[in-house]
Amino acid sequence: MRAVLRVAREELRFIVRTRSATVGLVLLVLLTLVAALTSAQHRREVASFRERQQAQAQAAFEAQPDRHPHRVVHYGQFIYRPLPALAAFDAGVDAFTGNSMFLEGHRQNTANFGDVRQSSLLVRFGQLTPAFVLQVLAPLMLVFLGYGAIAREQETGTLRALLLQGATRGQLLAGKYLALAVIALVCLLPAVVGLVPVALLPDQAASVALLVLAYAAYLLAWCALVLLVSALSRRGRDALVLLLAAWAVMVLLVPRVAPDAASLAYRLPTRLETEVAIQRDLRQIGDSHDPDDPHFAAFKQQVLQRYGVQRIEDLPVNYKGLVAVEGERLTSGLFDRYAARDAALQQGQNRLVRTFSLLSPTVALRQLSAAVSGTDLAAHQRFLAQAERYRYALVQQLNQLQADAVSLADDSAQDPGADQRKRVSSAHWQQMPAFAFRPADSSERLEAGLPGLTTLMLWWLASLGLLALSARRLGAMR
Amino acid sequence: MQLWTYEWRLLLRARAAVAGLILLATLSSAGVLSGLHFISAQRANIAQVPALQEEDMAAVRDYVLRSEDAGTAAYYSFHPTWDPPTPLAFAAIGMRDVSPYILRVRALGLEAQIHDSDTYNPELALAGRFDYSFVLVFLAPLFVIALLYDLRSGEREAGRARMLAALPAPGQGVYRRRVTVRALALSLCLVLPFLAGAAASGVSVATMLAVVAVSLGYLAFWIVLAVVIGRLAWRPAAHATALAACWVVLALVAPTLAHVAINAAVPVEQGAEIAREQREAVNHAWDIPREDTMRRFYAANPAWADSAPLGTAFHYKWYFAFHENGDQAVAGKVQAYRQGLLRREQLARRAAWLLPPAAVQVAMTSLARTDLHAQLAYQDRVRGYHAQLRQFYYRYLFGERRFQRADFERAPRYSPAEPAAPPPA
Repeated sequence: MRAVLRVAREELRFIVRTRSATVGLVLLVLLTLVAALTSAQHRREVASFRERQQAQAQAAFEAQPDRHPHRVVHYGQFIYRPLPALAAFDAGVDAFTGNSMFLEGHRQNTANFGDVRQSSLLVRFGQLTPAFVLQVLAPLMLVFLGYGAIAREQETGTLRALLLQGATRGQLLAGKYLALAVIALVCLLPAVVGLVPVALLPDQAASVALLVLAYAAYLLAWCALVLLVSALSRRGRDALVLLLAAWAVMVLLVPRVAPDAASLAYRLPTRLETEVAIQRDLRQIGDSHDPDDPHFAAFKQQVLQRYGVQRIEDLPVNYKGLVAVEGERLTSGLFDRYAARDAALQQGQNRLVRTFSLLSPTVALRQLSAAVSGTDLAAHQRFLAQAERYRYALVQQLNQLQADAVSLADDSAQDPGADQRKRVSSAHWQQMPAFAFRPADSSERLEAGLPGLTTLMLWWLASLGLLALSARRLGAMR
Repeated sequence: MQLWTYEWRLLLRARAAVAGLILLATLSSAGVLSGLHFISAQRANIAQVPALQEEDMAAVRDYVLRSEDAGTAAYYSFHPTWDPPTPLAFAAIGMRDVSPYILRVRALGLEAQIHDSDTYNPELALAGRFDYSFVLVFLAPLFVIALLYDLRSGEREAGRARMLAALPAPGQGVYRRRVTVRALALSLCLVLPFLAGAAASGVSVATMLAVVAVSLGYLAFWIVLAVVIGRLAWRPAAHATALAACWVVLALVAPTLAHVAINAAVPVEQGAEIAREQREAVNHAWDIPREDTMRRFYAANPAWADSAPLGTAFHYKWYFAFHENGDQAVAGKVQAYRQGLLRREQLARRAAWLLPPAAVQVAMTSLARTDLHAQLAYQDRVRGYHAQLRQFYYRYLFGERRFQRADFERAPRYSPAEPAAPPPA
């Protein structure tokens, strides 16, 4: 053990003495700190902006004057997706989706005003978050600082000398690995410091712990890969070029190729296609506009029977309101079905991307990181699903209000005073529930992160295994 | 001449160099193919529009013809618009994966429609597209570095440097020849797949030449950098480290820093506010005297001012009037929002003067018309078309005319203007 520590200490001393290495490492640490600070600041601003917007939208909704309930169905409600605390660490898809939605009757609108469409093209170069620095730049730092760890000794012949002095190959590798692992921890440290305030929030500690574990496993796997290539290369520069190539492939190339393979394998229907399909299905189920529609004819009979009357005029409730409730029920069922289809297709795409984590640990880490941070596709789909549920409840409450509080005679009247008689008291608007997004709780996010963690652990173990195997060849060359 | 042949042979005999060149050609081809596929999928989606539209309109027609009411026709008829990709779009997909390229609009308030998006998987968009532009901007410099970093120091380390320096005059050019040969090989491997894809996609020769010029200029930047750094009396590994560090800073770190700075300097918070204010203005019309709405509308549309006065019953011309008023109410915000977006783009272009990778991305997306300007131009075409739709339906609404079967055919049809000549890169 003491031999291992001595090798590690010597290696670290070598790195510290190499000025460019020290400068690089300090710059990386500074960059992580800058990323952590700006990203936390950005998150705070965005989160409070959306909260303000949400509060304003809610206030405007409640401040409506007396109105016909159907007017309120079309007045609708604006909702904003809140930003989770961990978005400061990994912003995930937040900038790549719309973050506000307009909810109204019989229509399903898209989430609009995403940052990606309102930023310059620089947004596509990556986002400065601690996650970006750790996923992309930290492995590169390990490459720069570690490529020579063994190749250098091999090249200059000091490896032989070390082995002759009695150090075993295992001790030598273990010591070098320890030194690189220390560097990895130095890279990780500023991000961890940035995570501490988040970990202190309720229900976040476990997620933060999982993130730290996953990033540590990722960087430790890179340490092993770097040493492996260093041990197998005859010259330091060969190791460097090979490692740079491996880095470019795993960190840059595979994460870009995988999405294109996924969109090739699963075609997402366009919004136009979906809208036309929904209208087509709706015409088959029941069209409330069509006086001869069989579904609504049967519905009418049912209603009349239930109340034991002959004509809709004799009903104790407003038949128009009941038709609105039924119509919304039909369209909403179709919205759900098509939304589920699109969600399943996109999840299929992401599953396909996940298989690429066999080629690159970065793919596994990216998915895990966004999932645990609550900023992945699943989190956005959760928002969309809750938005739709809220929209449906709100609209149906208003439709029911039309059935109960507006008489059919008033609702159909067109005389000068009719407009006033159709309106219901504004007190109702304050009784409508406000939208409150319920994010995935800690255990759900942990569960979503587990497959990624398993993959990362496998990468780590596999690279360590290969490194151990390479020990046998160490010093045999030349 | 013979010296040049030797240099080529030397290059082709170095197994790592040949492998690198083959890999670059493969990646460039893959990027081109991936881009071509992405764009052809968009073209196929656009090609579906007429059939889908016809199916949808058939149902609307049946419904409208029961009443022959122009307001019902205007309310229920969605009209498709689309933004066909340019032939070059495959090479730089730009914003086309996150911006809608098919958008249906009604004659109702436009501001509630024009900001809508299409269905896309944000996680796939987050990673970015694998197109020629990506290979050029991010990967090509790495190949330059790999092939050129040890040009001088490698010879020094192999002990041949002094001998080369001692050669008589023709031998002196060995480094120059070597750089030229490698630069040529890299350029061919990068650009030939693009040219093949561009020819297949029908890109004009002038545009092809422009892209080739951008590509070669960018390669030249990295080659010069590699040669300059290679002249420093360091060990080969130090050269590789320095070059890779330059690449990381220019292509990865600096653009993200610039992005943070630009977005902080130019906030665009108007987007969400536009949508809310427009809704407020539209719905407020139900709570104020209808004459107020009409007065305001007629002030902006004097052509219809002598339309028959409103009765007590609901009339769609009032409904469409307050929708147009709603758009007017937020026109200032819309303009400010647009200015904000353009300002961000302008600052990014300024930053690109210092960041060659960003400059190449700017040049490529502007040649391919897949940048913000192209998106705004599409929005402008949608706005123009929407104005035509309004005027078309207003003739019936304010002229109190029935809307009959033949009138559906008279509705203006969207035509995507031929893309104008791209601005100079």
